[in-house]
Amino acid sequence: MSKVAAVRPAYWIAGILLALSVVVPLLVSTYAKDEPRLWGFPFFYWYQLLWVFVSAITVSISYRLVLGEERKRRAAQGLDTGPEGDRDAGRDAAAAKEAEK
Amino acid sequence: MNTQVDWVQLTIVIIIFAAVTVMGFMAARWRRTGALESLDEWGLGGRGFGTFITWFLLGGDLYTAYTFVAVPAAMYATGAVSGFFAVPYTIVVYPIIFVFMSRLWSVAHRNGYVTPADFVGGRYGSRGLSLAVAVTGILATMPYIALQLVGMQAVFETMGLGGSNTLAKDLPLLIAFAVLAAYTYSSGLRAPAMIAFVKDGLIYLVIGVAIIYLPHVLGGWDTIFDAAKTKMTTPNPTTHKPTGAFIPGETGYSAYWTLALGSAMALFMYPHSVTAVLSTKNRNVVRRNAAILPAYSLLLGLLALLGFMAITAKVNVKGLDGLANPQLAIPRLFDQEFPSWFAGIAFAAIAVGALVPAAIMSIAAANLFTRNIYRDFIKRDATPAHEAKVSKLASLVVKFGALIFVLAMDKTIALNLQLLGGIWILQTFPAIVGGLFTRWFHRWALLAGWAVAMVYGTITAYRVVNPATKKHFGGSLSNFPFTDKQVYIALTAFVINLLVVIVLTLVLRALKVAEGVDATHPTDYVADAGDPGVKDLPDLLDGEGTTPARA
Repeated sequence: MSKVAAVRPAYWIAGILLALSVVVPLLVSTYAKDEPRLWGFPFFYWYQLLWVFVSAITVSISYRLVLGEERKRRAAQGLDTGPEGDRDAGRDAAAAKEAEK
Repeated sequence: MNTQVDWVQLTIVIIIFAAVTVMGFMAARWRRTGALESLDEWGLGGRGFGTFITWFLLGGDLYTAYTFVAVPAAMYATGAVSGFFAVPYTIVVYPIIFVFMSRLWSVAHRNGYVTPADFVGGRYGSRGLSLAVAVTGILATMPYIALQLVGMQAVFETMGLGGSNTLAKDLPLLIAFAVLAAYTYSSGLRAPAMIAFVKDGLIYLVIGVAIIYLPHVLGGWDTIFDAAKTKMTTPNPTTHKPTGAFIPGETGYSAYWTLALGSAMALFMYPHSVTAVLSTKNRNVVRRNAAILPAYSLLLGLLALLGFMAITAKVNVKGLDGLANPQLAIPRLFDQEFPSWFAGIAFAAIAVGALVPAAIMSIAAANLFTRNIYRDFIKRDATPAHEAKVSKLASLVVKFGALIFVLAMDKTIALNLQLLGGIWILQTFPAIVGGLFTRWFHRWALLAGWAVAMVYGTITAYRVVNPATKKHFGGSLSNFPFTDKQVYIALTAFVINLLVVIVLTLVLRALKVAEGVDATHPTDYVADAGDPGVKDLPDLLDGEGTTPARA
């Protein structure tokens, strides 16, 4: 529990953004319709193309968040001291714990 | 219809092809960091690619004849469910690789792993599991390369090359195949990286023109979508069902999202995608790329819509052998709507766009063979020069394997070749991605799960018979067990795989069966370039810096 609690908010935000970018484009029922059209494109088509841009933005934000945290972590450690598995991203905190065994 | 050879098109294609070949040979000297006679040098280009080159390289890998020929052909033939799923597929793939690819980069660079099978072997101390991953990688790559060859074939056929007899039809294919083999053999990964620049330049030019010019001549997007809607809702004369899906109906939802998710999860299990990621400079290049690669997804979406434009333009897709071949839709559309010289440029773009990934894929599959089959099981004390030689020969063998897929399989839906590869390659996901985060899975459980899923996937895919041609492996969708929902077979097999792995892991752990030696350390997964122990090319070149499975 303490490990989960220690995960920094930046990782949480990045994780949620990434999860949304995977799940939302797969919810077909939310966009399988013709109207409203945009420049002649049915909703089904322009909505999915729009997600190309949304996803580029969410992944960019996640990249900045994760990179910032990683830099902080590495600076704090002087690069390579000690096992750093447990201090890795929140997305794999539990897994890293497993790997330490 | 064009039954005569179009000399303008052919000349332009030959000139561009020749230029590309010369560049390929020159690339052998570009940014060389060591002797080409070593496997790392030939197969990974020295592992020094930065963000920009990686962007081109990954683009060259991922956006292929699949994008230019197969997806629009599927859109042309049966509409959204079988074709447009490629858009959500290429959208969700980047967040997925963002999460795990950096860890693979780090562990590979600290331990000198070049292939996914190296990693699995080292992580689980199991040569058997490593072999399973290697064999799957080689097998699954073959139909994917076959798809590239089918794409090139469609272009040559549109230009009027070939005829109804077997030899005339396959001759241009064999020429392209020989060029590919020759330059891959001599310059390794660096050739495709160099050519990727040319290829993407050409592709952007062609797409830009097609997307602006074609809707204009065809009467606008409204007309294009309406023509597609009319075709898809018209009942097929033989089956009396609608021809396809303009917008997926409720029954198509599960097929649509499972095809997208399954393809996305499978993509970065392919040895060639792993090779491209491992040739980057540091662990964050791939993440940065995850943010800029969607530019290609937009391209893919617009390319897919060319299939609908072919419907609007009433393109003739009858092949030179007299049979309808949807793969001809896009080349024929260009042939019909563009002046000859520009159609020539477009065809060259498609052909080179198939050539580059075919080269990268065959190199990656060859690496797998050499390191994880030849060195682990046949000749343990091979020198780096000897390994590079074996690898080059193996890459030729892989290309021949692909040729067999082209000649033996049902080509009416070329997309199917890639989806079949996906069914197989996705079964290595638990071992590879699972292994990046946890050592909990037991090696024998992973092997059993893989075996069960491979058998299930292959048999289920075999049982799908194309109603038109009566051939097996006619599709990639089947009902999820105990339901009537159509889903991508790869994902069903993956679920079965995972269940077997979890249950058997619990059993084997309870029985305290030896779980093998883990050659990696938790810190390996977050190491970056410049950290102690992270190997650069010179360390790897002597072949001593590697730790393949030795169980």
